[in-house]
Amino acid sequence: MAKPAKKLVIVTEKILLKKIAKIIEEAGATGYTVVETGGKGSRNVRSSGQPNVSDTTANIKFEILTENRDMAEDIADQIAIKFFNDYAGIAYICDAEVLYAHTFCGPDGC
Amino acid sequence: MDFLSLFLMDFVKQLQSPTLSFLIGGMVIAALGSQLQIPESICKIIVFMLLTKIGLTGGMAIRNSNLTEMVLPVTFSIVLGILIVFIARYTLGKLPKVKAVDAIATGGLFGAVSGSTMAAALTVLEEQNIQYEAWAGALYPFMDIPALVTAIVIANIYLNRKKRKAADEYPSKQEYVGTAGEYIAPAGAALSTAGAPLPAGTSFSTTGDYPNPAGDYPTSRQEYRRKQQGHTDNRVKIWPIVQESLQGPALSAMLLGLALGLLAQPESVYKSFYDPLFRGLLSILMLVMGMEAWSRIGELRKVAQWYVVYSVVAPLLHGFIAFGLGMIAHYTTGFSLGGVVILAVIAASSSDISGPPTLRAGIPSANPSAYIGASTAIGTPIAIGVAIPLFLGLAQAISGI
Repeated sequence: MAKPAKKLVIVTEKILLKKIAKIIEEAGATGYTVVETGGKGSRNVRSSGQPNVSDTTANIKFEILTENRDMAEDIADQIAIKFFNDYAGIAYICDAEVLYAHTFCGPDGC
Repeated sequence: MDFLSLFLMDFVKQLQSPTLSFLIGGMVIAALGSQLQIPESICKIIVFMLLTKIGLTGGMAIRNSNLTEMVLPVTFSIVLGILIVFIARYTLGKLPKVKAVDAIATGGLFGAVSGSTMAAALTVLEEQNIQYEAWAGALYPFMDIPALVTAIVIANIYLNRKKRKAADEYPSKQEYVGTAGEYIAPAGAALSTAGAPLPAGTSFSTTGDYPNPAGDYPTSRQEYRRKQQGHTDNRVKIWPIVQESLQGPALSAMLLGLALGLLAQPESVYKSFYDPLFRGLLSILMLVMGMEAWSRIGELRKVAQWYVVYSVVAPLLHGFIAFGLGMIAHYTTGFSLGGVVILAVIAASSSDISGPPTLRAGIPSANPSAYIGASTAIGTPIAIGVAIPLFLGLAQAISGI
């Protein structure tokens, strides 16, 4: 049985990684995945793989699975209010069905 | 005229030096659209190596030197770091189309020190056989940290004051809207003498129609916004900024090198590894800086042209102030002319490794295209290409070498 969940995706600046990770943990999510990304948004083209001596232009993408919509919205709200006025960022939510995940589903599986 | 010909000769020689030729080479291939990529992790290791080497050199030198000699140059470095931010605040910040916050952040970045520029200057001095105090590299943190802290503190003071003024004016206009203009003046006067933050209720009651992009968020978001507003009115804490810059990659590497040079016996690894690789690695870093400089010029085009003027003039101005102060130290405590050149070059340089992330986190509302563009695209090439030969030529002209 697949367990229904919400997937919150946040694409933002790498410089915020630690701060956002802290917010996610405090909100009670069991975990998150972070990947380095690049692309184009309303503010600018964000480079990835360009020569770069400091981390200011790198982007990251968080994916967080939450059991309910409330937790996902709570995380997104906190991050949006705190950072998105000044930093590049986007947050969106999707429906997900978790097939296998030990901590997320419980000891017996999904 | 003698000085000018010396300078021009030196300048041409400089163009052929590994440092500058690799920088220009990087800009040229980036301009030609080359797909050459230097992996980011290699850049990181190079920055680490260069700054560790500078730190080790400094540490080993401090072990054998008289600490009282350092007092005046260190004091001047701190003064310069702070002064440069205020120069930007009251020159660049007053120009049309330049936001004060962006100007302060630019000042912070130009006040902070570039490890690569300093490494380039040290190499050039060695190539020309000019004596300098080996601990001169250790002046880096004494200029870097004060500049970043000053920039973040005055930017936040400025923003808080602006926010408070907006919060003060907004409800007063709302309240007196019926009785029109004559009320605005007395209200403003009364508030400016008070200076204290408004009672919480008045400013918060209007958050709903506050002219802000966040205004149309649903209720739960407004709650957060309110919390955040209350939060940012707090005073700026200096220690976290210092901590953050100390923990940054550049300063950690440098201070680690300094400590190891001072306390351990790293001579053998220094001679066999750090010292021989230094120049080769520097040339790769210069190539990367050149490529990055070119890719940033486009960003700079989107902000006011005054940044271009500032980033050409400021490195030289800062360098001359530092050179003057260095000469004072030269005549009073015997600070060598090579040391004076290093002081001038680090004042002319603008941070490109540890400074940008610190400022981005410390002054989030400043536009990074403005300050990073100004620094990386123009400031650093000017500092390396013009400031190093200029101050070297000046020192040579003074000493008559």
